[in-house]
Amino acid sequence: MYNTKRTLVVASVAALFTGSVFAMSDISDVNSSAGEKINGKYAANYEEIIKKADGKYLDRDVIEAILGKDAAHGRDGLVGKLDPANPYSFEVDDSIDGGNHGNSQCKVPKAFTEVHDSAAVNYFDDATFTARGFGTPIAEASLKKWNISVDGDGKGLPDPSVGMTIEEGGKIYVQFCAMCHGEFGEGAKGYLALAVEQDLVSSHVRDPAPMKSVGNYWPYASTLFDYIRRTMPFWTPNAPSIGDAGYMGMTGYILQSNYIVMDDEGTELEDDTFFNSEVLMKMNKYMPNQGSFFCDHRPVIHNDRCMTNCDDSLVGGDGLGQESTYRQARKLPDGTPQYNTPQRMHEDKPGVGHSGM
Amino acid sequence: MTDKIVEKVAMQTEESRNQGRRAFLKGSAAVAGGVMFTQAANAAGGAGFDAKKAVAPYAGKAELTDVLQDGAARKSLGFGVRKYPYGMPSPFEKEVQRRTLEWLTPDSMASITMSPIHQLHGIITPNGLHFERFHGGVPTINPDDHRLVIHGLVERPLIFTMDDLKRFPSVSRIHFVECPANGALEWKGVQLNSVQWTHGMMSCVEYTGVRLSDLLKEAGIKPEGKWIIPEGADASGMSRSIPVELAMDDCFVAYAQNGEALRREQGYPIRLVVPGCEANMWVKYLRRIMVHDVPLQHREETSKYTELMPDGTAQRFSWYMEPNSVITYPSPDFKMQGPGKYYIRGLAWSGRGKVAHVDISIDGGRNWKEAHFTSVVLDKAWTRFEIEWEWDGEEAFLMSRVTDETGYVQPPMPQMRDLEGTNNVYHRTAMVTWRVHAWEDGKNGGLVENVQY
Repeated sequence: MYNTKRTLVVASVAALFTGSVFAMSDISDVNSSAGEKINGKYAANYEEIIKKADGKYLDRDVIEAILGKDAAHGRDGLVGKLDPANPYSFEVDDSIDGGNHGNSQCKVPKAFTEVHDSAAVNYFDDATFTARGFGTPIAEASLKKWNISVDGDGKGLPDPSVGMTIEEGGKIYVQFCAMCHGEFGEGAKGYLALAVEQDLVSSHVRDPAPMKSVGNYWPYASTLFDYIRRTMPFWTPNAPSIGDAGYMGMTGYILQSNYIVMDDEGTELEDDTFFNSEVLMKMNKYMPNQGSFFCDHRPVIHNDRCMTNCDDSLVGGDGLGQESTYRQARKLPDGTPQYNTPQRMHEDKPGVGHSGM
Repeated sequence: MTDKIVEKVAMQTEESRNQGRRAFLKGSAAVAGGVMFTQAANAAGGAGFDAKKAVAPYAGKAELTDVLQDGAARKSLGFGVRKYPYGMPSPFEKEVQRRTLEWLTPDSMASITMSPIHQLHGIITPNGLHFERFHGGVPTINPDDHRLVIHGLVERPLIFTMDDLKRFPSVSRIHFVECPANGALEWKGVQLNSVQWTHGMMSCVEYTGVRLSDLLKEAGIKPEGKWIIPEGADASGMSRSIPVELAMDDCFVAYAQNGEALRREQGYPIRLVVPGCEANMWVKYLRRIMVHDVPLQHREETSKYTELMPDGTAQRFSWYMEPNSVITYPSPDFKMQGPGKYYIRGLAWSGRGKVAHVDISIDGGRNWKEAHFTSVVLDKAWTRFEIEWEWDGEEAFLMSRVTDETGYVQPPMPQMRDLEGTNNVYHRTAMVTWRVHAWEDGKNGGLVENVQY
């Protein structure tokens, strides 16, 4: 079941890339009288439908009327929301965000009419606005120290002349980072690992959560430089003694530890590679997990507000309607149930289903 | 440390439970010896006060009336004014604390505490009990030295002092603030028996501040400015990317919380308020808002605060907190006091607007009854519900289910798990179930336990 979705995500992203028609399962037409549809799939008069339902844009009947019956339950609804034209989609067109390996964006769905109406009143309708003149104008140049933001396009990165070899970067990493993150990014003392090779697919809901680290999870390499310079070392972030060159070197060392490549030939970083913003942005396009992200697709469940004798699927017992088939918390040998038992008994590492916060 | 407190609390609860049981047994013995009274009372047919039904000495509950002697509080003067220029709760409330689980994180500067929501009343969280979530410890900032800068894709980059900000028209609103990891421990199954642990990563307070739309209009966003990127002045330099529509909906920059300045733990001197959205977007110690054409792709919106699905894909930019509800009494933090009338009460909230209905089931979700609200019903704020329940002393499975004004109905856990798996960490907003042990269930009689389907 889960694999189906991954295949669908990959397939649909690829479809959007080549400009071909978005593939999805048929949705039954519960609103044929409404006439026109967006992309032939969604009720174009969704605003009217929502208005008629007193603004209840997440009511099951409203969703069915706009998206079709299948969208209101199960995975079809999730898949449909990968299409930016879907009024309930958070996704934007690839022309805006550059697609799979661009600086991906998301939006507030069109069907969330309340949000858009409110924003229009508060801002976009500024006919009555007069500036109060509070605050003092400031020159962008005087913000140099504060403006440390690097975006997904690499805007904000240091000049390509700033950097160092991976070997030099590794030395700085060992000095400032290894005590918590391990010499090769394997993690230490409960702090996050930076380089683990682990499959993110889980075969069973009870399996331990996969470890997420730079190589197997992070979608952007640019984030790594932004984050390390912004927050590390933990006890003295953005340290002048490390400087942009040092931060660039650390970034390179971590990317090398994760075997990130920089071109189609699979060229990896060598110890004597001079690592700078140019190399970083080349690697930004080859982060292995980048294509696996999609925008918020919630809500995913649209139940009726059942009041009596509800369906077995809505009662306990894994859909069998047996309220007595519950699971309890594990208890410590002394019978105390209050704690996360596997972690307290040192069977599991610290963390909320993953390592570290 | 927490260990010890919890052990102590556990011991105390056990003691008081036994006391309760002793009292109950004593009471029933007295009743057995005085069947006549009961019959007489019944015969009276509820004709007002019946002296024979009153407590001690008639019902044999002497310990209830022992305190009727005047004690120290009555016989001597209490303390005078200004003993505490800033008042503190009674020492008898000292167990009402925010608490953490020491195994969650390797240090306390990037960690979380949970609010004792089972011990709160109404819809306002006192400032001292507001949950805490730090990414780089709490800075102590002098407001005279604090500035807010709005720059980037704006017509006029501006720098504001605190005095500048307070000159703007103010707005006061009550909103809940919730970490998206609230309930995260319960994805794979039940882990903890306390509402504080299962739902305590949230609070609800009244904020006062300046509308963000007023500030952004003052600076004038250029047409290509589509995102705002707020940033904190703390060691973590906390940052998120927020689309302009969302920022213009109902965000504001708050300088006050429950009538006084923000606490340091909550972002003193100013924080962003993004009603209904993940608490990590509510950047604390706010010092800079960059208006930008694209999102930042900050670590806290790419690596963290994204939801891993079973197939290895991940959901990002999940801004809204979905509707949620929990029964805070009875809950695993309390023991039942014997069969009879109870008033099931709890909290419901929605990141998308007002709560419309809360329904309660005592049979694990088969049948439901609508509860009524005992608080005001506000947009994106906690709402208190209550319903009368006559407990027959048999095993029961209590659940609450919220429906918000958008028509969304809170789902049961198995449904959410089927679609989302168990590795999301964030946004576990399905219902929870409290199993009430039958009163005649040996030493566990009347215990309330967190169970999951």
